[in-house]
This record gives sequence, structure tokens and C-alpha cells, in this order.
Amino acid sequence: MPYYIGDVIQDEDKLVARTPERFRDGGIEVLTQTSVMEINAKESLVQLGDGSRVKYDILAVGTGTIPILPGIPGQDLEGVFTLKRLNDAIRIKAWIEEKPVHEAAIIGAGFISMEMCENLRRRNIKTTVINMGALPVTRWDPIFSKKAQEELDKKGVVTLTGTKTQNIEKGADGRLHLTTTVGELVVDLLILAIGVKPDAQLAAAAGIPLGKTGAIQVDFSQKTPLENIYAVGDCCEVFNRVSKRWVHIPLGDIANKQGRVAGRNIGGSPMLFPGIVAAQSFRLFDLEMAATGIDDREATQAGFHPVSSIVWGNAIAGPMPGNSSVGIKLIADQSTGKLLGAQAIGGAGAVSRINTLSCALWAGLGLDEVAYLDLAYAPPFSPSWDPIHVAAQDLLKKL
Amino acid sequence: MGKKLVIVGSGAGGASVAAEAKRRDPDLDVLMIEQGDYTSVAA
Repeated sequence: MPYYIGDVIQDEDKLVARTPERFRDGGIEVLTQTSVMEINAKESLVQLGDGSRVKYDILAVGTGTIPILPGIPGQDLEGVFTLKRLNDAIRIKAWIEEKPVHEAAIIGAGFISMEMCENLRRRNIKTTVINMGALPVTRWDPIFSKKAQEELDKKGVVTLTGTKTQNIEKGADGRLHLTTTVGELVVDLLILAIGVKPDAQLAAAAGIPLGKTGAIQVDFSQKTPLENIYAVGDCCEVFNRVSKRWVHIPLGDIANKQGRVAGRNIGGSPMLFPGIVAAQSFRLFDLEMAATGIDDREATQAGFHPVSSIVWGNAIAGPMPGNSSVGIKLIADQSTGKLLGAQAIGGAGAVSRINTLSCALWAGLGLDEVAYLDLAYAPPFSPSWDPIHVAAQDLLKKL
Repeated sequence: MGKKLVIVGSGAGGASVAAEAKRRDPDLDVLMIEQGDYTSVAA
């Protein structure tokens, strides 16, 4: 959706994988603009907004997430948006084009905020990131987050760090006047991108147990503990193969897979969801950032003894023109020598390396195996010792 | 008609359940309920 707002994707219809009409053509009934008020698990029915009741034999809950709001006076004003639904993206784009918007601010500095920065700058909108913390995208090592911050600076994004927004008011000029802990800021558009939480209220009210993460508890069949009730996607938990823990990672690719697994189980072709390794990527202007597995802190929490190191290498062979630097951080368990996680940043080739390392994590490879993985070498794509090999060999010294 | 499957939400997860369940068991009576305007949106 950020790329739709940036007009890289021009047509909103392209974001819809399957329209209600196409579902109906396939024999699936669809109700849009219809709220479910209550799930009554005892009587196996749902109550809709118009008071009508629908009986079910099997229920699947896919209620997604809700944006976390900062709780600032004025957060409901016109011109202040969250970005969750396609409607939000359409409204933001219309606001940008009609207003017009010259200056924007984003509260939050996660990957959605970063994608929005790129796309707002693409539209030549002066953009300010209001970050309560010191660095953006904190999933990554501070050394990589600093690189992300430098990229923001280089592309003309203003960042206010350690800054809280205290008040939003609509001025006599029709613009949004933000009072922050470092002064006043006047913008035409404000995006709230602090994060999301599982939308599990309906489920919880129905007595469907939630996990420790606050998301709906499921098993590998996507079944909740209540009979005939499944849950899929961002509203439920997912098993992390590395930490062996149930986590909440709201990403659309995971939701797709969980949905397909639930659909198979409901449709009589049983299968188990294999879990995830938490692979993730995004682009920030000319930078690729990606991560997979768990970081040092999560590793310690999961009972591992993590060691890690960062190596900078070349994404392509040294003598080739267009050489670009790529940073790779590997995290491994000192006791077993197994890879636990990886992070990468670079102009090109960071995401592809994280995909490779995701396979290594999936397979439970040891660092010694990663150090000699047979990868597809050719000068335009990598040095003969890929940065993955170099990073693994570097970390092996710490085991 | 076969069993009645009700799906709350039509995002990536819910929409995949609908499509896959119906594909595997064409006799299923599937109803997907969405509070917004759009189904199956790629974020």
C-alpha cells in the first residue's frame, strides 16, 4: 500500500488479489461492509451488525490487526491517518492529491514508516519522522539501524528522535499543528505508524483462548482450542521454528499460508503448518534491509547462548563495476553451533542473502555448514567467497 | 449442501481459507464476512 500511495502502483484494483465478484463466481458467498458483533461458540452462530444471526458448522477467524494509536489529543482529526485497510491508502492518496500535501509527518519508525518515507519523498513531500526512540527499525542491530538513519538523512527526511507528540490541532490555516517535546511542527498530513496489535477481541469475548502474545492461540492445523473454530493470519499466533515458541508476526505472506493450511484441513485434505523463521524485508530508498530468525535478545530468552558478529563485504565480485557494500550479521548458538538468525543491509543483494539464510535456518544448519554452502557464484552476483561464507567463518571463530 | 463454513474477515488469511476450503470440498457452503469494502487485499 505505501507504493500505491507513492503512485508506483497507480491502480488500487491491482492490490485486490480477488474481488467479491470473483469469490461469488467461485461459489463463495461474500458480505462486505458487514460487521460481526459476536461469536457465540456455544450455539455455533455469529451475530451480525444488523442483528441477524448466521449458524455455522465450522468457523474461521481472520480478523487481522488493529493499529496502535498513540492516544494524543487530536489523533482523530481530518488529515490524520493510520494505514491498515485499502480504504486508508485510498483516502491518504486522495488527501495528498486534493489538499495538496506539501509537508507530512509520520509517528513511528518501523518498516511501514520507512516505506512511507520513501513514497512520500517520491511525491516530493517534505517528510518528518517522529521517533520516540533513538534509531529506526529496531529489529536490526543498531549498527544497521544507524545506516537506515543515514539513508533517511541523505534522502532529505527529517527525523526527530527521542520525541513525543503531545497534541494535534487544526490551525486557522487549515493545517495540522503538532506540539512535540522538541517544539511545534506544521504539516498537511500525519500518519500514525506506531505498530499494530492482534484484533482478537471478538475471539476473546467468545472464549477462544489467546496466547501470551495477545493473539489467538492455534495449533499446527490452525485450530483454536475451541472445537470447529480455526484462526488464521495476523490475529493469531504462529510457531517460530528457531525459538520453538509461538509468536505474533503480522505479515501477509504468513497469513496466506496459514489460510491455505486451514482451508485444506476444513476441506478434508489435512496438512500441518510447518511454522516460520520470521523472514522479513523492506526497501528504504536505495537500501535493502532484511532479517530472519531471532536476534541476540530473543535467543537468550529462548535459552540459547548467542554469539554474533557483523561482517561487511561486497554484494558482487570486487573488480566488477557498480560494486556495492553489504553488511551481514549472523547470530549463532555457542553451545550447538547452530545458526539462530541473520540480518542484512545493502544497496543490493541483502534480501537475497537473507532468503538463503532463511533456508539455512529452516533446515537447522550449523554455522560450519553455512560457511561452506554451495551458492551460485558468478562475478555480477557475488564474490567467489560470498559475504554469507565470510560472515559464517568469522563467527565460527567465536564458537 | 454440505457443511456451513463461516469466515470472519477477508484479508490474506480469511480469503485463503475461503478459496482453499471450497477448492478441496466443493460441497462446502462458504460465507465470508468482511467489515470493509474490499476482499483479499495485498498489503
